[in-house]
Amino acid sequence: MSDPLRPSVSNENLPSTPEPDPHKAAEGVIRTGLDRVIARAADGIAWLVFIAMAISVFEVVMRYAFHAPTSWVHETTVILIAALFALGGPVALARDKHIRVRVIYDAVPPRARRWLDVFNNGVILAFCVGMTYAAWQLFYRATHNPSGAISLEGSGTSWNPPFPAVAKGFILLAVGLMAVQAALHLIQSLRARPDADAAEDR
Amino acid sequence: ADYEWTFQTSETAGEPQFKIKQAWADNINEMSGGRIEIEILPTGAVVPHNQTLDAVGSGILQGHLTDPSYFSGLDPAFSMLGNLVGAWGDPLEFLEYMQYGGGEELYNELVNPYNVQLIGAAATGLEALVSKKPIRTVEDLQGLKLRAPEGMVYDIFSKAGATPVNLPGSEVYTGLEKGVIDAADYTVFATNQDQGLHSFARYPSYPGFHSLPMVAVSMNKEIWDGLPDDLKAIMSTATDALAYDLVFKLKARDLVAVAEARADPDIEIIDLPAPERKKFRAIAQQEWANWAKRNEMTQKVYDSVVVFLKDRNLL
Amino acid sequence: MGIELGTYVLIGSIFLLLLTGLPLAFTTGMVALVFTYGWFGPNALPLVTSRVYGFITEYSLVAVPMFVFMASLLDRSGIARDLFNGMRVLAGRVPGGVAVQTLVVAFFLAAMSGIIGGEIVLLGLLALPQMLRLGYDKHLSIGVVCAGGSLGTMMPPSIVLIIYGLIASVSIADLFTAAITPAVVLMLCYMAYVLSRCFWNPEMGPPVPAEEASMPWREKLRAMRHIILPAVIAFMVLGSIYGGVASVTEAAAMGVFGVLVGIMIRREFTLTLMQQAVTQTINTCGMIIWIGVGAATLVGVYNLMGGNRFVSGTILGLDMAPVLILMVMMLILLILGLFLDWIGIAMLCLPIFVPIVEQLGYDPIWFGILFAVNMQVSFLSPPFGPAAFYLKGVAPPNISLGDIYRSVVPFMAIQIAVLALLLFEPQFAMWLVN
Ligand code: NA
Ligand code: NA
Repeated sequence: MSDPLRPSVSNENLPSTPEPDPHKAAEGVIRTGLDRVIARAADGIAWLVFIAMAISVFEVVMRYAFHAPTSWVHETTVILIAALFALGGPVALARDKHIRVRVIYDAVPPRARRWLDVFNNGVILAFCVGMTYAAWQLFYRATHNPSGAISLEGSGTSWNPPFPAVAKGFILLAVGLMAVQAALHLIQSLRARPDADAAEDR
Repeated sequence: ADYEWTFQTSETAGEPQFKIKQAWADNINEMSGGRIEIEILPTGAVVPHNQTLDAVGSGILQGHLTDPSYFSGLDPAFSMLGNLVGAWGDPLEFLEYMQYGGGEELYNELVNPYNVQLIGAAATGLEALVSKKPIRTVEDLQGLKLRAPEGMVYDIFSKAGATPVNLPGSEVYTGLEKGVIDAADYTVFATNQDQGLHSFARYPSYPGFHSLPMVAVSMNKEIWDGLPDDLKAIMSTATDALAYDLVFKLKARDLVAVAEARADPDIEIIDLPAPERKKFRAIAQQEWANWAKRNEMTQKVYDSVVVFLKDRNLL
Repeated sequence: MGIELGTYVLIGSIFLLLLTGLPLAFTTGMVALVFTYGWFGPNALPLVTSRVYGFITEYSLVAVPMFVFMASLLDRSGIARDLFNGMRVLAGRVPGGVAVQTLVVAFFLAAMSGIIGGEIVLLGLLALPQMLRLGYDKHLSIGVVCAGGSLGTMMPPSIVLIIYGLIASVSIADLFTAAITPAVVLMLCYMAYVLSRCFWNPEMGPPVPAEEASMPWREKLRAMRHIILPAVIAFMVLGSIYGGVASVTEAAAMGVFGVLVGIMIRREFTLTLMQQAVTQTINTCGMIIWIGVGAATLVGVYNLMGGNRFVSGTILGLDMAPVLILMVMMLILLILGLFLDWIGIAMLCLPIFVPIVEQLGYDPIWFGILFAVNMQVSFLSPPFGPAAFYLKGVAPPNISLGDIYRSVVPFMAIQIAVLALLLFEPQFAMWLVN
């Protein structure tokens, strides 16, 4: 575009050190092959937010312009976003984007940092394994009736889609994936040498 | 205390029902000479409101006092028993059905497999529809954008000609205020008035005609089965007292709010006339029959309710 | 272990784990898991995942990814950049002018939405890089974004006030009315702070260079024309709420739609742009939602442990003047605000505090406003400052959490001053209600 303002603005007031591209930074650090697969899959899953937006707009138009609100949009929006939220956990873990307080972590020497990595990955693994057990319990009860036959927990609305069961399935999938990711990260941090650690410092 | 339990309820700590339920717990503590101590927690305190059945069955919570229609997604019979839309003109009719018409036995047949035992049924009283448009006849429901939550409300109002909108409870206030919806199935008159809904939804219906949610007072079945008989009797009796407390304390509160609303020239309280109520009930009954087909248990409840209502010339 | 000791161990272990650099989401989640297991045994573990289920299926949170999506689209298309260029022309020679305009934008966003998070992400993507590019002081810019972006939960339609109204069973309309004055005053104080800092030290917010300010009107208009599209989008969102077209949550989706239309009008629409925007949305949401998940699990287990009884007993055990009890409550809220998000605090404290407040003879509406201002502080206060996390997710990588926390201190001071004013001068909020 030939906007005359643009060059003058962007050249003149650039900070003395160029800003690293925030978009690149958002992609984070990928550590294992599984992480790479998850990060790739995220590109597809991410479109859920687009679908959720599109059907919400559809509902608004149908209701306001045609006085014919749908019976399915609100529930579908919630389950789409729930899936996005749940699977966002493994995605953020794959990109090492979960927020942490780095005051001490950044201050200690590489050797100590390696031990912190081992400790943290161990804790994350323990957490995710515990969560997987708990999520399995929840998922089982949402997909089986008390007599043990398969029966999906529905939302109880007139439409009654099995979204509660599906959402619990996504939770199980998310924490299960994170458990495997964390196990791989733990192995990686146990193998890492302190001297190699300094080089790949992020 | 010999028994220390946590029961979760389905309302927030500020609602009057919550305080009445706390009084129930105090009553049990006193009657049992301190052997039972129950802590009453507000909705969502430990698990989400629609997950308490699971939590009670698995022992995370020891019990709950809640509206069973939240579990309609597990079994449609919960809706049929928990809030049979349009069936009851008075909470006492419903309580009579539950205690003396076979309702409690059916409810236990439904929840016992979940490892849950019903101690007793109570009810909040008829909920009052909040509306921005006057509803004087069933005809007036035509095209009315009405918020309907889970359960049968949606289908029945849809059948009656309204346009149900599936909107979550937290959106009711702004939705009504700004006009996204015209009316809402929300809660009892006094609470609607307290929250300021009538300042823009000026045609509340009172007494209500559509929704009378049960308050199922239940607990973990294993714990219940292990209780000595005297404590079981105390729990049941205290729950019967709770049923009266809920009905009449909430009614008194509603009456105060109704007087307040009557004094406001901007608010018109509409009492749906008896013939119109009958019309609405007839529409509702067709939908009950539809729901009854969903499974055996639901059909069983339907048959039992219809017999009860017919015997009393209510249907 | 009793509940008192349990409370201290719980808080202590969160602190220790945080210091090791363990991600926050796993810190709170792990502590919740261990306490559930230790206190109630393995059968109670599904409590934790049940909380996760409740949290991720919460309807009001649907607005979060929508706002993040909207922000990514505005950022990756040229709209955001042009908007701030246009605003810069409007700001003229006033030092700090763009920061003040950012606050105005924040205020509009606050009137469109009732959640925290989306707005911060939006401002973090739009305003922050632009202010930095224009040479604004880093800390001032960050503070403006965090504090301004938090205002959404003070201004109606605010989810904090709605939840308060539901928990306390008071009129949401009155809460909304009472919140307006303090929200406006907060914004004006932020503006006054920015302007005074930049007045004494113009380096912090460099005014537009003289040659640019004297640019011909034609060009000024050209630059300002770029304000129109975002303004139309903002009016679409606001209009759809206030015109009764869409619910608050749906309005966020309408906003995304508006931005997409704008992008098409500008002929910037490509599949790559869309892919980048949705990917950024899932990355950002995964990070911020799991922090909320962790906190939500913690609240559930603490409630089951009897934590609320402990807190209530502690307060009722105090033998002091009512106003001092109120101050103790404010202090407890501020302290909890260091560790928990506002939903957790609301679930934990309001069932205890509101009845006490009513017993003491205070107006629960007024207390609701105190609560909302207090939560404004909690959005900023470390170590658990949601505003900081939301911003960190989208800020340039050279901005650390430490930077953000340093930046918000003066804004927290302003919030606490407003809180104190409100505490001693209830009419400050209530005059519109009465
Ligand atoms: Na707002
Ligand atoms: Na905080």
